Order: sequence, then structure tokens, then C-alpha cells
Amino acid sequence: MAKTKNKKKNLAEHISDKKKSKNAKTLNPFEMHINKEKIKVLGRKLKNDRGLPGVSRAKALKKRKGTLLQEFKLMNKSNKFIDKRIGEHNSGLSEDDRAMARYAAVRFKAHKKSSIFNLANDEVLTHKGQTLSEIEKFANTRSDDESNADEDTGRLESDFVEDAHFGGGVLTKTGNEGFKSHKDLINQLIAESKKRKAEKQKAKEQTLELTEKLDEEWKDLIPLVNNSFKRVAEVQADKSEVDDYDRIMKELKNQPRGYATDRLKTEDEIAREEKEKLEQLERERLSRMRGVFEDDKSEAPKHRSADDLDDNFAYDFEPEVTLSYNEKGESNVPVDKEMRVEVDGVEEEEEESEAVEEEEGDSEAVEEEEDGDAESEDDLSDLKEEDSSSDDEMNGDNEDSDRESSVTDNIKADLLVRKEMMEKAREELPYTFTLPNSYEELHELLHNKSAEHHCVILERMIKCNHPSLGEANKETLGLLFVYLLQYIDDLNLNSDIVNCFKISNFLVPQLFDLAQLNQENAQQAISEVIKEKQRDYRKNKKLFPSLNVLIFLKIVSCLFPTSDFRHPVVTPTIVFMDQMLHNCRIRSRRDIAYGLFLVTLVLEFTALSKRYLPSATKFLAGVLHMAIPKPCVKQIKVLPPFRSISSHLVLTKRTTTLTTTKLELTDLTELDISEDFKQRSLQVALQLVSEFNENFHELSSNCEIFSPIEEYLGQIPTANYTPDLRQLLGEILDKLKSNHDKKLYYIVMQASKPKALRLYEPNIQKVYDVKSRKIMSKEKMERAKLLHKIKVEKKGALREIRRDKAFLGRVKIKERIESDKLRKEKVKKIFAEANIQQSELNSMDRKNQRRRK
Amino acid sequence: MSNVERTTKISKVLRLKAQEFLSSYKYADNLVDIIRHFETGADLLACLLSLELIFTNLLKERQMFVQIVPLKPPEVTPELQYKEWLRHIYEECFNKILNCCESSPTKIQIQGLTTAMNLINYEAKYPLEAKLNLRNYIPLNKLKAVLMKLLTSKENTSHLIQKYEEYLVYDDVLFFTWKILPSLTAKANPNEFYMLNYLQLMEKMQVKRNDDPKAMCWIDGDEKLTFHFDQVKTKRYLNKIWNCLMLWQHTPATHKQLLIVLLERVLPHLEKPLLMTDFLMDSLDVGGPVSLLALQGMFTMIQVHNLEYPNIFAKLYSMFEPEIFHTKFKARLFYLSDLFLSSSHLPGAMVAAFAKRLARLALIAPSEDIIIICMFIGNLIIRHPNLKSLLNRPNGGSATSDPYIMDERDPLKSNAMNSSLWEIQTLQHHVLPSVATAARFINSPLPKVEWDFSKILDSTGDDIFDKEIKKNSKLIVLAFDRPNGSCLTRGEKIALHWNI
Repeated sequence: MAKTKNKKKNLAEHISDKKKSKNAKTLNPFEMHINKEKIKVLGRKLKNDRGLPGVSRAKALKKRKGTLLQEFKLMNKSNKFIDKRIGEHNSGLSEDDRAMARYAAVRFKAHKKSSIFNLANDEVLTHKGQTLSEIEKFANTRSDDESNADEDTGRLESDFVEDAHFGGGVLTKTGNEGFKSHKDLINQLIAESKKRKAEKQKAKEQTLELTEKLDEEWKDLIPLVNNSFKRVAEVQADKSEVDDYDRIMKELKNQPRGYATDRLKTEDEIAREEKEKLEQLERERLSRMRGVFEDDKSEAPKHRSADDLDDNFAYDFEPEVTLSYNEKGESNVPVDKEMRVEVDGVEEEEEESEAVEEEEGDSEAVEEEEDGDAESEDDLSDLKEEDSSSDDEMNGDNEDSDRESSVTDNIKADLLVRKEMMEKAREELPYTFTLPNSYEELHELLHNKSAEHHCVILERMIKCNHPSLGEANKETLGLLFVYLLQYIDDLNLNSDIVNCFKISNFLVPQLFDLAQLNQENAQQAISEVIKEKQRDYRKNKKLFPSLNVLIFLKIVSCLFPTSDFRHPVVTPTIVFMDQMLHNCRIRSRRDIAYGLFLVTLVLEFTALSKRYLPSATKFLAGVLHMAIPKPCVKQIKVLPPFRSISSHLVLTKRTTTLTTTKLELTDLTELDISEDFKQRSLQVALQLVSEFNENFHELSSNCEIFSPIEEYLGQIPTANYTPDLRQLLGEILDKLKSNHDKKLYYIVMQASKPKALRLYEPNIQKVYDVKSRKIMSKEKMERAKLLHKIKVEKKGALREIRRDKAFLGRVKIKERIESDKLRKEKVKKIFAEANIQQSELNSMDRKNQRRRK
Repeated sequence: MSNVERTTKISKVLRLKAQEFLSSYKYADNLVDIIRHFETGADLLACLLSLELIFTNLLKERQMFVQIVPLKPPEVTPELQYKEWLRHIYEECFNKILNCCESSPTKIQIQGLTTAMNLINYEAKYPLEAKLNLRNYIPLNKLKAVLMKLLTSKENTSHLIQKYEEYLVYDDVLFFTWKILPSLTAKANPNEFYMLNYLQLMEKMQVKRNDDPKAMCWIDGDEKLTFHFDQVKTKRYLNKIWNCLMLWQHTPATHKQLLIVLLERVLPHLEKPLLMTDFLMDSLDVGGPVSLLALQGMFTMIQVHNLEYPNIFAKLYSMFEPEIFHTKFKARLFYLSDLFLSSSHLPGAMVAAFAKRLARLALIAPSEDIIIICMFIGNLIIRHPNLKSLLNRPNGGSATSDPYIMDERDPLKSNAMNSSLWEIQTLQHHVLPSVATAARFINSPLPKVEWDFSKILDSTGDDIFDKEIKKNSKLIVLAFDRPNGSCLTRGEKIALHWNI
């Protein structure tokens, strides 16, 4: 019982053992080699802690046998045969099977070539290398003799053959010919055959030539035989004469009808684009007004995540690149896997840690991307804000425009009249104008023409010579711009100021167009003009310069954005106006009008930016001061250049009606101060005051700015003025008084940020091995890495070579031993045979001796 | 045309006559001719030149030299007679030439002065009589005559004085002018022209010797000794003159001139400068540039002579009026007030009043001055840290109106400390970018070191213009709204107020 039980148990164990051995080869502990560990680290998996030297050696040996040994065997052998016959190496196949397989392959190859539906004509039968079908066509039938000749080619003459091949007998030989050596015979043979070939060739050429000649002669004969050829020739001649009409028609027919282009934009789209463009320009203008330039924004520091510990090795040397990913999920920055120099035996661990790092990097990148999104959102919100602000401004403008609607109505009516005049002028003038080569030409062209003609002439001139029509036009149009400025400068304003202003009115849009075409030139030219005018003014600072200056100032305001914080043309212009308002004496109607024009211009320049110029308000105060009557003793203080005793604008007579509330251009030329002018100038001054007051409403000390004006206004006797004017004066006085109610907020300086303590980077060393590595530049590091790699590889290669050599040595010595053994055996065998022979010989000898005995 | 030809012809003729006269005694009549022509008053310039030619040559050749031997009556020879005659004519001519300096065209006047000075020069080098002391001899009576012409009471002789300044670089001329001046100083109330001329002359005259010592009337060669400029004597003359000058009754113009002379030339050399205090204090009350000049004088008195003047800051404060920007002395005022307020021991309320007043003035000042004022206020705040409340009121809050009282004459009572510099805030919206940026200093913490505005004290609007036009920025920006006629689409104002 017990035995059987034991047996059974043994069987079960045996089976389970078998299963186990199937699953994993049991390692023989004697075959294993264990690498001793110096320091044990918990949780560290080592790759190289144990090895199987026997197994690995066997592997290496096998590999060498496959490669090195084969090469060794083929050493010093220049050729080798490779048997590619099917089944040749397969010992499992019998001879028949091989033949079958080969035939099948051939069939298969043939079958592959033709269509699968072609079942019948699989095989093409041939005769003498030509297919039967080809032969059946009889395409190249040759005469018998030719074919015979072909058959003959390359063959030797029969007697030669007879002689050479069969003439070996002694009988045929006659002594006189002498014996020919084998070499001579061959030479003769070659020469013979060549000669025959050449003859054949010649004959063939001759026949060909003759045939061709015959053909030609036959062609000559054809017309005699038949007329039909002639007609054909005629038709051909007709065909060659294609007329132009046809040709063009064909060309037109073949021409492409249209090209693929962008879709035409609808009016809505065009309008929207236009609007966007304008909004963009407006935004830029606003930013310039604030004195901020867009370039500054781009220099914001690049974003880095808050978690960024700056723990990259050699962080300082690396250019910062924001990490991002393409569609495949690959980062644009190659992750430096080999930042550190690799150490033998710890590669895997490093790789792992790097993998972790990469993950971290990913998460960082994600964060960064999110941040980037957030930023872009911020940008959008900024834009929105700006939009809204610009919208606000637009709304404000609308309000303005409401107020100015009455004015615009007038302008509209004026424009209608103007339009008619222009139409008339258009009809009267020729349609094309060449650009003037000199100022004199332009002057001649425009001189004594009406203002409308000026406009039309220039319009057409610009159109005819638009830069899009020729490269050089841009330059010449620039010149035209300069000439026009000169022309305006030469207008004699003192004689007919109204007409001159009209002309300049018509010229301004043209100047605007020209300026847009050649911006740099325009800016430079205007700036030169302003400079020159200012130089002239410097000679006598007490006098207002010529009236042309006013036109130029107006042109500046039309061509350039006057609201910019700083502008190369506008800013000097403002300085110029400021100087004039500060220094020029005011004595006559002309001076007052000139000054008021300047103040109006200042208002225009600052209408959008709402900036403050002291001299303008000072001038207005002076004008109001002039309207206060001064009793002989009492002096009311006023700032120079006004004089405290002057009271030119005091109204003496009572008036009830006023023809116009605006100032006239003629006021700029006349000297005497009329009653009418007194009222009008006061009116305009008051209006300007109210507009300035509105502009400066935000300024904290606006009541100080207007306090002298307020004081003067209170002293102007209103009795003589028209009711409208009286009312206006009262309103403005009230407005100015209301300024005092404004609350003043004390200035509080922005609290400066508390200065952060300096944070020091923790000095973390990244590699915890014994060697401390130098910190070096990226290139050096790369180089060191490569050098180390070379060293390692070299070592490995040397070891391999050494082992190869040992292997080969072993093979050689084996061969040697084998061959020696063979030789010894052979020698033994020979000796043995010889011994046997000798013994036989000896025995025979002995027998013979015995017989003799 | 013919006129020019005629004058050139006549000058040629006159020159020829003069040369003939010089060549031989035979042509003695020529001299008479020339003088007669001179007396007619025509072609004065040519006559002056030819007379100068004649007499300088005569002096050079010593043809008028008379040897006087003591105790021996001179023999009457025709030669001596001729010499006597020549000398007589020479004296006459000199007077006539000097008379040219009156009431004739400016050019002739200047030429007359030059001729006279040239003659004096030659006479000093080649005296008419043998002198004991040959060196440093200058014909004093002639020089005195010249000075009398300069100090005429009939007209303004500033052009002549300007010409005379060229001679004052010579130590001897300078010294003898000082020497003669006391005798020419009027004791009673003189005419305004006289006073002005006198003061102008004084303004040109140095009290000490010139930096580059040289003498005009110097006989070249023989002696190396330079002219000895007696400083002590000069000072004595100066004090003598000044005592007289102070007694005159001054008009506003002369008062100003007197102050300029006092400040630039005289004050360091006076024996008792403290005597000037009353005068300066009176001047302080005059107002305008005069008081400014007096202020400078006071500053020197306080600084050098330990004068005690209690109310000086109130005076200075009252000088900051809007009109100051249209005077020539504003740079001086800024310079002086910077000096006065440079002490850090002044009461904060007073300095705050100054700062606030300056800020108010900046609201109406020309652009170039606003920049200076901004820097000035900045410097004041840097100097007096307790003024920071003007820029930064830690508690914030608001006021219904500016607590500062502009009309208060006493800076301490103006309540400036409770105010803020709203004016500077307003000026940040000035049209000109340079001004606006200058006013931005209140936005950021002030620097430790004061700004140096001494370089821009004299800058004018032209300088700002030049600077702006030179700022050749590459950015070219044009308007994008096409004007309708000359009407802007936005913000058109000209068409609103003018019939164009």
C-alpha cells in the first residue's frame, strides 16, 4: 500500500515538475555568477546583479560560428557559388518532387504575366526565336539568296573545315605545304571569317543603295502614270495658308476663359473690413495719444510657470523656448535625454527617472499652455475694453455731431453749390495733365485759374500719374507736393484773402492724397516749411508772421494726427503757435483776428486729446480784457503781451442785431476795429472759452486756469450787446462759476510695491554619485559625453576583437591538429602498406630462394 | 551812383593832397584847403582820414616838436614859426575832430573818436615837448576832452562808449580814465542822458587791471617795463565817484543801470558797502527788474557782509508775479531764488508756499519756464522732505477748493501745507510732450539728487522748437480721415468759428 502510495505521489510530483520545467528552465546554481553589491539600496532593481557566464559564452560562441567562422572559411577565396535551384538544399524532397516544383514555378511565372481572363493563349509558340504569329505576317520577307546568305554568315568554308577538322590523315598531306602550327591555323581561320563578313556587308549595302535609287526614279515616273498625287499636293499648299483670322480665332478659342480668383466680397464685407481698419487706426491713434507705443508691450517677460524651479541643469546657458506640441504630440523642444553623462551600469535607472521628469515636463507644458490661453483671453478683454472706449468716443462724436448738425446743414448746402461749380470746371478742362517738371510750370498752369479749376487740374494730374502706373511717379508726385506747398506759400493773401483760402481749401484734399502716396516726403516737406516759417518769425518775435502761416498750420491739422503725444511735425507746430500767442503784440483788428485764428487752431489740435496750452487761454483772457472799459485811473491787471490800458473791443454803440456770429477772413487783413468786429470777436472768444472749459473739465485745476477769464467776464458791461451775446456771456459765466463746486482729491502717490526679499536658489546637486561633475557649457558637455562614449565603445570593441582572435586561434589549432592527425594516419597507412609490401616481397624472396635451393 | 563816385573821387583827391603836403613844405596850403573842406561839413569821413594821415605822420616825424631850453628865449626862425603854426592848427583840428562826435551820423562819430584816440596815441608816443617822464605820458587834457564828449548830456552815446571800450583794454587808458573821471562827475542833479552815459561807461570799466596787461601809448622797444596800474588809487577814485553818484536823483532807467553797475563792478571795491543797504532796500520796493537786482545785491550783502534782513523771503515771494515771465530777468530770478531757498533750515510752510506759488505761475507760464518750474519745485521737495505732503497725502481725502491762498502776501500764512500740487497734475496734460513729461515727476518717487536746471535757465521757445524738429523719429504717421475741403471729419473747429 505504502509503496503504491509512494509511487502515486511520485508520479504526481513528476508531472508537476515536468510542467514547471516546461514553463521555466531551472537554473543550475553552479552556472550562476552573482555580482557582489557594495551598497544595498532598498527598492532598487538591478539589472546586472547576476549573470550566466556559461550561457552567455555559449551564445557568443554560436554567434561567432555563424558569422566569423563563415568569413574565415571564405577567407582568401574570391568566388563562391550559390546554388539557387529550387529544392536543391531541401533534403526532404525527392528528385521527382523537385522537378515538379520547378515546373510549377515556371508555369506560375508564365501565368502571372498575362491577364487572368486569358485562358487559351497562355503559351506563345515560337520558331527560331520568332513567334509564329509574327512569322505569319510575312513582314520581312527576304529573297532566297538573302536568307541563304544569312544562313551562311559566320560559317567557315567547307574545304577549310574539311581540312581543319577532318584532314588528319597522313595520306592527304603533301610534303610541300609544310606543317602549319595550331596557332597559325587559328589565325587563318579568324582572318578568313572576317573577310567573308566584310564582303557580305558590302554586297548588302550595294543592294540597298540600288533599291533606294529605284524607288526615287519610280516616284518621278508617278505623275505620268497617275494625276491623283498632284491634287494632294495642292490641298497641302492650301492648308499651309491659314489666315490670321483663323489663327486668332483658334487662339481665342484656346485661351483660358477665366482664372480662379478670390470670391468677390460683398458690400457688407467691404464695409466691415473698412470699419475694422478704421477702428484699428483709431486704436493706434489713441495709444499714441497716451504716449504709449506698442513695441513696449512685446517686451513683456516670457511666462514661466510658478512651479518652475529652475532646476534644469545649465539653465543659464539655455535659450528659453516655450514648450508646445504638434499634432503628433511631439514637443518642439527635444527633451535632452543625455543631459548628464551616462555612467555604466545605471542607465536604466536614469532612464526611469528621466521618464518621470518628462512627465513633469508635460504637466508643466500643459500648465503653460493653460496660462497662455489665459493670457490670450486677457488680451481679448483688453481689446474689448479698448473697443468699448472707442465706442464711447464714437458716441461722444455723435453727440458732437448732433450739436454741429446745424453747421453741417450749412456745409451741405455749400457743398451742393460747390459740386455744381466742380461739374462745370470738369467740363471746361482737358482730361489729362502731365506732371510739372519745375515749380514755374506748375505756377503757370495754376496761375489765374479759379479755385475749382485748381482742384480739377490736380485731381486729374494725380490720377493720370498714379504710382500704380509707373514706379517713377511716386518721386515726381512727391515733387508735386513740394511745389504745391511752394504755390500756397506764394499766394498773395493780403490782396484777396477769401479767394486764396478757397484755393487752399480745394488744395487740401489733393495734398492729403499726395501725402498718403508718399508719406515720408510729405512729412519732411511740411516739417521743412514749418521750420522755415519759424526761422522767419524769429527775426521779429513781436509781430505775427504772414497769413500764409495760418494756411500751413491748417494743413498740418488736416494731414497729421494732432492728438499724438509726440509727433515730428505737429509738436514743433504747436511750439510755434505757442510762441506766437505768447509774444506777439496785439494792436489792431488784424492782430486780434490772427490770434483768435491761432487759438481756434489750438482748440482744433487739442479737440481729441483734451490737452492744455496756457497761451491759448491767456490770449482769450486778453481779448476779454480788451472788452472791459477802463476808467482813467483804475487799471485792471492783464498779462503781457496785452496792455493793461488797451480797451479796443469796448462797444460804444448799442446794437441789436448781428449779421453773422462767425469771424470773417477779411478780419485778418483789416486794421480798423469796427463795432461789428467787436461783437463777433467777443462772441467767438466766448465760444472758444466754453469749448476749452469743456475740454478741461477733467483737469484738477481748471478753475485756476479760468479764474482770470471769470474775473474779466464779470466786468464786461453787457448793456450794449445783442441779447444773444448777453445770454451767452451769462451762461458761460455760470459754467465757470460751477467749476468751483468740483471736489478736489488730494494727490496720493501710488504706494510702491514692498521690495521682496531676495530669494536664493537652493543649491541642489543633481547627481548623487561620488564623482562631482564640473558645470560646463553645452558644447563642452556634448563633447565630453561623446568622448566618454568613444572610450566605452573602444573598450568593448577591443574586448570583442580579443575574443574573436582567441576563437579564430582555437579554430586554427583545431584544424591544424586535425590535419596533423590525418597526415599521421596517412603516413601510418602508407607505412603499413609498405610494410605489407615489403613482407610480401620478403616472403616471395624467401620462396624463390627456397625454390632455388 | 554818382554820389558814390563823387565821394570816392574826393577822398582820392584829399588823400593825394595830404600826401603832397607831407612830401614837401611847398604844399602847405593843402592843409588849409583840407581844413576848409572839413569845415564845410561835406565828406567828413574822407577829411577825417586825411587829417589823421597828416597829423600822425607829422607827429611821427616830430615836425611839431619844439625843444624848450629853460631860461633861453626861443629864436624866431621861419622853421619855428612854421612849427608854431602847425601846432596851432593841430590843436584846432583836434577840437574840430572831437566836435564830429556830436550830432553827426553814427559812422562819422565813431570815426571821429577813432581819429582822436589815434592822435592821442601818437602824441603820447611822440610828445610835442620834451617831458621829464617819458614813460606813461598821455596827453591828459586831450583825453579829458574825449571823455567829455562821451559823457555829453545831449544824447545817448552808447555807440561811442562801445567803441571806447576797445581802448579800455589798455591799462594806461583805463587808469587815466579813472583818474580823469572824478573831475568830470557832476555834483548837482545832472541830466538823464548824462547819467545814462556815465553809468554805461562805468559798466564797461574794470576796477582792477586787465588780465592781459598792455599799454596803448607805449614807445616800443627800449624799455621792458610795463605800465604800472595803481589799484589803490583807482579804488580811491571809484569811491569818490560813487559818493557823488549816489547823490544824484535817479530816474527808473538810471536806477536800474546804477544797480547793474553796482552789482557787477562796484560793490566789491566799495570802502563801506553797508552804506548801500538803504539804497538796496529802497530799490527792493520798486518792483520789477529793479527789485530783482536789488535782491541780488541784498544776497551779496547778507552773504559777504553779514547783513541781517528779516523780511527778505516775503520780498522774494512777492516777486513771483505772472508778469515776471515777460521780463529779461526771469532766469536771474530763478537762479537767485534757488540760491535763497537752498538752505534746508527754512520753515516748511514757507517753502511749500513758494512751491505752490510757482506751480500756480506754471499754469500760465511759457512752456520753457514750466519745465524749469517743475524742476525747481522738485528740488524744493527733495530739499525739504516734509513738503512731500504736497505730493502724497497719506490719508487721501478731498477738498472743495484749494486751501492755498494765492493773494496772501506772507508765505507763512498762505496755508500751502494743506494743499496739493494739483497744478502739476494739470500740467501733465500740457500739449507739449517735453512739458508733460517734466510734470510727471510727481508720479514716481523723487530722486535723491537734485536736478540741475542751471543749463536750461536761458532756454527759449526756439530751443524747444529746435529740439522737437531735430527729433527725427522714423515713425511716419499721417491722419487717416480724408478732410472734406479743409474741414476735418472730427474735431473741426475753424469752420465752426470762421467763415471760410
